[in-house]
Amino acid sequence: MTFPRTLWRAFISSIAIGLPGLAAANTLTVQITADIRSSQPGINRDAGTDSVMLNVVEGLVAAGEKGEIRPMLAKSWSISPDGRTYTFTLREGVKFHNGETMTADDVVFSLQKLIGHPEFSCKTFFDGSRDAKVESIAASGPDTVVITLDRPDAMLLNYMAQSQCGSTGIVHRASFNDDGSWKAPIATGPFTFGEWKRGEGLTLRKFADYSITGDKPDGYGGRKDVLVDAVKYVVVPDTATAVAGLRSGALDVLPYLPPGEAAKLKDDKAFTVVAAPHGGLVTMLFQTGDPLMSNIAMRRAVIAALDTPQIVDAVTYGLGVPNNSLVASGSFYHTAAQDKGYLHDPAAVPALLKAAGYKGEKINILTNRRSAINYDTAVIAQAMLQSAGINADIEVLEWASQLDRFNSGKYQIMAFNYSNRTDPALAYQTVVGSKAKKANAIWDDQEVSALVNTALQEADPARRQAIFDDLHARFLDQVPLVMLANGLDVGVSGPKVKGYRTWQGFARFWGVERSE
Amino acid sequence: MLKFAFTRLLSAIPTLFIVSVAVFGLIRLIPGDPASLMLGDLADADALAAARKAMGLDQPVPVQFAIWLGNVVQGDLGRSVLNGQPVLDLVWHRFTTSAQMVLIAVGLSVLLAVPLGMAAAWRQNSSLDLAIVAMSTLLLSIPTFWLGLMILLAFGLKLGWLPVLGYVSVADNPISGIIYLVMPVMTLVLHEVGIIVRMARASTLDVLRLDYITHARAKGLSESAVLMRHAARNAFGPTWTLIGLILGNLLGGVAVVETVFTIPGLGRLIVDSIYARDYAVVQGCLLFVALTYLFVNLLVDLLYPLFDPRVTAE
Repeated sequence: MTFPRTLWRAFISSIAIGLPGLAAANTLTVQITADIRSSQPGINRDAGTDSVMLNVVEGLVAAGEKGEIRPMLAKSWSISPDGRTYTFTLREGVKFHNGETMTADDVVFSLQKLIGHPEFSCKTFFDGSRDAKVESIAASGPDTVVITLDRPDAMLLNYMAQSQCGSTGIVHRASFNDDGSWKAPIATGPFTFGEWKRGEGLTLRKFADYSITGDKPDGYGGRKDVLVDAVKYVVVPDTATAVAGLRSGALDVLPYLPPGEAAKLKDDKAFTVVAAPHGGLVTMLFQTGDPLMSNIAMRRAVIAALDTPQIVDAVTYGLGVPNNSLVASGSFYHTAAQDKGYLHDPAAVPALLKAAGYKGEKINILTNRRSAINYDTAVIAQAMLQSAGINADIEVLEWASQLDRFNSGKYQIMAFNYSNRTDPALAYQTVVGSKAKKANAIWDDQEVSALVNTALQEADPARRQAIFDDLHARFLDQVPLVMLANGLDVGVSGPKVKGYRTWQGFARFWGVERSE
Repeated sequence: MLKFAFTRLLSAIPTLFIVSVAVFGLIRLIPGDPASLMLGDLADADALAAARKAMGLDQPVPVQFAIWLGNVVQGDLGRSVLNGQPVLDLVWHRFTTSAQMVLIAVGLSVLLAVPLGMAAAWRQNSSLDLAIVAMSTLLLSIPTFWLGLMILLAFGLKLGWLPVLGYVSVADNPISGIIYLVMPVMTLVLHEVGIIVRMARASTLDVLRLDYITHARAKGLSESAVLMRHAARNAFGPTWTLIGLILGNLLGGVAVVETVFTIPGLGRLIVDSIYARDYAVVQGCLLFVALTYLFVNLLVDLLYPLFDPRVTAE
């Protein structure tokens, strides 16, 4: 007599219910490749941690679908004529996860605690070391909060909405122990923070009293309808295991799948593959301080030898969108002017190499295997360069070693990804700077630095647009780096999931359904 | 015996010191800065300097070592820069997770492999011997990550008999815990059986060639009596030593199996911490692994006389 398979499956399922590793009814089970680093927004974080925690916490403002600043816990704000004072009017009746109603005093407490924290990842955005300094945060009434700066800063709202700043999420004072140390987030987001088993995973639960606003989802702002009871994150570091989990039904969503793996599932009707670019930068950096690469004709020769749309198509398995501009393809500042890109012109390479005085010297391309996109980019670029008569060589490093070389500036060409930058000015700020002051700066040009600083201080969208268009023209002319595409998020959801989509590198679970 | 154990424990102190110096030095020789890994590409020079200072990395390496060693002597292995947890708690929690799987796997491997090895030796050059040797060689040759994935695809995905991923501690829920351990344990057992079978067979063959076995046979004892009463215990000695080495090795972490089956064990912690340059955790883990290895081998040496009375724990 054999034990029927269906009975056995039922037995396993009955055991599985309630276990941290597997799904219970109306619970989305989601892969995370590594555990979250902490539950405190903006403190000891990485992109994976942000992606989980931004389902739990919300700030006064949020980044919209195209990077615009949207209201979240604040229903409106005003900026004083001198640009130093920001006055936020809070939404009424917003509940914390412990049932208490949010007040201006709560917001002041939370922001002061975060901005004053020595390990706040965005400390330099608010302490005057990079931009303006927050001089005071005060309540001027039960629903009004005033932030005063030491000088005008057009980027303040943008910084507040940044994911790496934890969206400057507002948490209740009960999130802290009596001694001021962190306990767990009691915030206002659509999910509450549930059990966290370190190294195994965690659970977020639907917040029944969530104060819904807006009429449609809009980035991290807008309407957030929660359609599941819970989201269980399971740490699954191995891709093959995660795909097996998805196929078996043990996992519902794999939010970050390498494009090559996702491409294998694309034609399977049971699964939905979603891919979208975010504000990260997929690049090949030139060390413009290198004797060979400092020559602009040499850099132009490399650009002419590379067919960048083909590289993007190959490394993303047709899922990526080529973009030669530092203004993200999804940004509302990405206009026709930003669509102008590099010209693939192998015929022009010999003349450019001659102008550069190139005599066949070896050019080293650094890359790593942690990012399949970086590795594949280096391999394909090497082949294209070699076929154009450039003696390119690849050196593969472990990621930490490559990051070391990036920070010390010791390379000629490097396949490198920058993390998400929601505003174009931040993307430019990342690569522009004086190499004497910042070894990892790529584009060392004083006029360009001045333009980027202007963009950072400029609030008027039209004037900002003009600056970004000007910067892009200079970028194409000076070719300080090869911009290939924006970072790509590829997620896959299983047959029971409806409504899962990816945005700016984050897995948002409002508006997502799971059918039984 | 107590004197022997005490002497061995004392002799472990210089070993542990050398291990700690080596681990501390080697992890710092690998390129990569924990501060820049933690802060990513957002960091400016000031933020990096502040993070390095907070981690104590702005001090000269000998000073860092002296501070760390001083803390270790007081039982403080530091805190993880990744998640702020005390290293000792982290290591112990992960070790107990790995140990559940490893102890069951090694126990089952011994129960399977020793009789198979002895049977192969007893029937040397027969088809049974050939089959056992061929099987053990095959199992030994298969990489554990591939074997694990095949088991996962067969029993988890194709047949649907076992959960593909997740983990429950046996201490929290014995039935579920065991179900989750079936596939990783099976992977480890199949691999270790190959090793132990070969040792058990070789050592049994050595013993079966000795004069006292010929004498026992000449007395007219049955083959089973010769094997079980006279050969088995003596033949088990070398295998016991090998088991000790395997146990020490596996308790130090089985990163591949833990990664494939999503088990949050010590091996995965070590690998993750090396990639993240989480110095305190790497140092703590490797020191703990060295200590475990020493302890297991001491235990093996103390128990050895039970199998071979000619050897004394003196």
